[in-house]
Amino acid sequence: MSRGLKGLEEKVFQKDLCIACGACLSLCPYLRTWRGRVVKLHDCGLEEGRCFAYCPRTEVDQGALQRKAHGKGYNDVGIGPVRKILMARARDPIWRKKAQSGGVVSALIDYALKKKAIDAAILTLRDTDLLPKGRMVRNREDIFNCAGSNYISGPTLEALHKGPWQGEERIGAVGLPCQALALAKMRTAPVEKKGSIDKVNLVIGLFCTWSLEYEKLMVFLKKRLGEGCIEKMDITPPPERLFKIKMADGLHSLPVDEIRPFIRNGCRACFDMTAEFSDISVGTVEGIEGWSTVILRSDTGENLFIKAEGEGMIESQPLPEDHLNHLKEASLLKKGRGLDFLREKGLMDS
Amino acid sequence: MSSISQNAPGKVALLMGNEAIARGALEAGVKVCAAYPGNPSSEIIGTLAGVADEMGLHVEWSVNEKVALEVAAAASLAGLRGLCAMKQNGLNVASDFLLNLNLTGTRGGLVVVVADDPAGVSSSNEEDSRIFAKLGDLPLLEPATIQEAKEMTREAFSLSEKLGLPVMIRSVTRVSHARGNVSLDELPQSGPKPGFDLSQPRCAFPALPNHRLLHERFQRAKEMSEESPFNFYRGPERPDLVVITSGSGYLYSLEAAINLKIEERVGILKLGMTWPLPEAFVLGYLREAGNFLFIEEVDPFLENNVKELFAQNCFDIGVKRFHGKADGMVPDVGELNPEIVTAAMENLLNVRHLPRPENYSRIAREAAAGLVPARALGFCAGCPHRATYWAIKLALALDGRNGFVLGDIGCYSLGMGPSGFAQMKTLHAMGSGVGLACGFGQLERFGLEQPVVAVCGDSTFYHAAIPALINARYNGANFLLLLLDNNATAMTGFQPHPGTGLTATGDKTPVIDLRAICEVFGASVEVVDPFDVESTVEMILRMIRTEKGVHPVRNPNCCNLELSETSNQKMEKGEIISNGVKVLILRRECALVSAKRQKKLFRIEVDQERCLGEACGCNRLCTRIFKCPGLMWDQATGRARIDEAICTGCGVCTEICPASAIRKEAA
Repeated sequence: MSRGLKGLEEKVFQKDLCIACGACLSLCPYLRTWRGRVVKLHDCGLEEGRCFAYCPRTEVDQGALQRKAHGKGYNDVGIGPVRKILMARARDPIWRKKAQSGGVVSALIDYALKKKAIDAAILTLRDTDLLPKGRMVRNREDIFNCAGSNYISGPTLEALHKGPWQGEERIGAVGLPCQALALAKMRTAPVEKKGSIDKVNLVIGLFCTWSLEYEKLMVFLKKRLGEGCIEKMDITPPPERLFKIKMADGLHSLPVDEIRPFIRNGCRACFDMTAEFSDISVGTVEGIEGWSTVILRSDTGENLFIKAEGEGMIESQPLPEDHLNHLKEASLLKKGRGLDFLREKGLMDS
Repeated sequence: MSSISQNAPGKVALLMGNEAIARGALEAGVKVCAAYPGNPSSEIIGTLAGVADEMGLHVEWSVNEKVALEVAAAASLAGLRGLCAMKQNGLNVASDFLLNLNLTGTRGGLVVVVADDPAGVSSSNEEDSRIFAKLGDLPLLEPATIQEAKEMTREAFSLSEKLGLPVMIRSVTRVSHARGNVSLDELPQSGPKPGFDLSQPRCAFPALPNHRLLHERFQRAKEMSEESPFNFYRGPERPDLVVITSGSGYLYSLEAAINLKIEERVGILKLGMTWPLPEAFVLGYLREAGNFLFIEEVDPFLENNVKELFAQNCFDIGVKRFHGKADGMVPDVGELNPEIVTAAMENLLNVRHLPRPENYSRIAREAAAGLVPARALGFCAGCPHRATYWAIKLALALDGRNGFVLGDIGCYSLGMGPSGFAQMKTLHAMGSGVGLACGFGQLERFGLEQPVVAVCGDSTFYHAAIPALINARYNGANFLLLLLDNNATAMTGFQPHPGTGLTATGDKTPVIDLRAICEVFGASVEVVDPFDVESTVEMILRMIRTEKGVHPVRNPNCCNLELSETSNQKMEKGEIISNGVKVLILRRECALVSAKRQKKLFRIEVDQERCLGEACGCNRLCTRIFKCPGLMWDQATGRARIDEAICTGCGVCTEICPASAIRKEAA
């Protein structure tokens, strides 16, 4: 079987499992992204390739990868390796205002850049067309532009391969669980030429239940809500569970069920809600507005967080017990759904 | 002064067949010559255009063959001599007029030269145009030699005037494009004054009396055919085999008979005026011999006509054997050659002659292999069409809905093959891509989800695509037309056309602007330079994504296109390019035309440090997939290199190298 582009095409593209994370992009001239999709342009012909090796939807032994990434395997399969779990928020309201919940990710990247723990960060920018794309940032203003989410995933990791890098930079990357997994696969892949992964010394992962497919969603929203320009999109926590769309003519709300058909098929094959392959994972705290759940998973993650808190960039509180239980439950449910999907579609390799 | 226009009777000149036809027309005192270029006919008008001033002619490249024939016929109706030249496909275009003109008749000599392309070497089809002579009851001459090409053309004008009918000359590639010695005759010094005779209206309607009149003229043509000096027999009195042949078949038959040393056994009945068939003349030989072989290129025209004649007379002349295309003795497609005729004669007369060893062709191929590198049929280095098809490929792949390209005949037909990345999926007549798009562009209501794209060259657009474009707009067909505007009729030899601002004789004339034509029909029109590959991809995508629902906010960072103001405004309002026909003009001069006029745009170089060779991971995208002949893979260094002798400096390859190893500098 091909472990190159042909294999990727057969195992991922043709089975509609691609989540357009960007791990395979800007490595070669054969793949390109357009409107939230990854497209094969020509036949490459090589039997092995980084595209196949880095893809989070090609074969992966999660336990072995964890051992390689964090030095040990799973002891608790719920939410992956945990040093410390708490809830936190940025102290500077500028981050809280634009960010999805507590602004912790923006504040941590800002701090890491300021303290020269990293020289640049790979974040996700959403332009006026709402289409996510990877962006290399080096300053506050750029971080601000990238803050927030819109539930549409995009090829963030392309920016890591694209650079341009000058030499010995250290890079922080912020991404979805699939992107954190792709970064871990890059780090451990048995390929000769790796790209820029060796420069990445900080991975901040974002909680994710699923993400939406850009084109289909946009066609739907335009049909449903008219021609206007969309400014922001958000999903309110249960029990409300509304998809809220801010447009020039006001705020529109749709039941989340209406947008479920636009969930990426590849997201249904995902086991990871809390970005288990990151140094720090961050998500919302259901029911407590303005705060983020933070999981510190590695030395790097823990040190950065403690220093940032010590210098007053962020503040934290213990995560209430019932929230922790709820998080584990939700994470396990996602794993179960992922397994069911793979079994149902006959996608399990063994 | 070229020998074409030399008034030197008796002088022998080496001429190409098409030049000989031109010379024949000059010796006949032709005044008006018109054509649309098409191989293998193009040099006839090209030659005449070159001497138009000095000989006092009107010579034009018309917009298509029908108009060309109408222009030449007008000269005839005014009492002057007119000539119209075309390839076989051209006669299809002109046939509607031709099959009305035969009913009204002509006045000054009118000669229609049709050069057929057996095997379709440079054509979309293979076709025998002689059938049109039969269809229209028109006299038909077929030259077999270069000298005859000149003689027949000159005689065709008098024949036409005697009969009051247009006369067809059918040439083939090996007559039109071969060279031979031609003995020249006198050039006339003066001609009649033109005028339309008001007492002689020329109306095909009512058809019945005109058709009857045509048949009367045809009867006279039959008599002339019997007397034609172009029909003759060469061979023994009692031949074992009679070859009935015309055109290129005559010399092939002669060569075969001489090589086989069977000239004493084989007779050659060479017909020059093949329609109307010289029945009495042919019947004489049918009566005398028993065994007949037909040698003619493309269709069994003589074969069937002679068999008809035989059927009518078999009671008197008895049983005969006929060999040719019907019994498989001669291939029924493709060109003939002396080997094919030799094989047929060997077969029929049970003789064997090996002028060269049996495995000759294998030995020749092997000997040539080291001398001639194998070369795929492809676009020239720096051809804008390669960049265009690259952009089409990228755009259709990114779009992801299996969009497909409808094309027609031109250099860009190579878009079917690897040089155009196999993007073009249909190829028929001139302009047919646009016509088919008019139909495919209506199928959305039945569930067609694929984007419909048509390609058409600039010259083809003027020739045949304008009515289709009007139809698209009128009937609301939804497709994208890509006009590949290289400012030349490149495939046939860079003849000027209405968009170039020059006439056949090199005179300045107003440019008929492609964009203005399309806009006047209300199509959305944009213009890009195909060498700016990324902008072209972006524009194609924008123009095929017409479904309602794409987010209206324009992203200013996503491309750097300079759109026309109206498009920009429409884009802001989110209404750019609604359903309907859209036109994208890809404007970039043919590389061969540019090369004659100006220096290279850029000096291109592959940075040997930056090119990573096999280690790149690109798997030789530049030479394996993009495949411009200006790029080569250096086996010794394992790196890409520029072939400076071939590279035209277009710079497109600098955009495709993932390592940015191909660099351009202002030349």
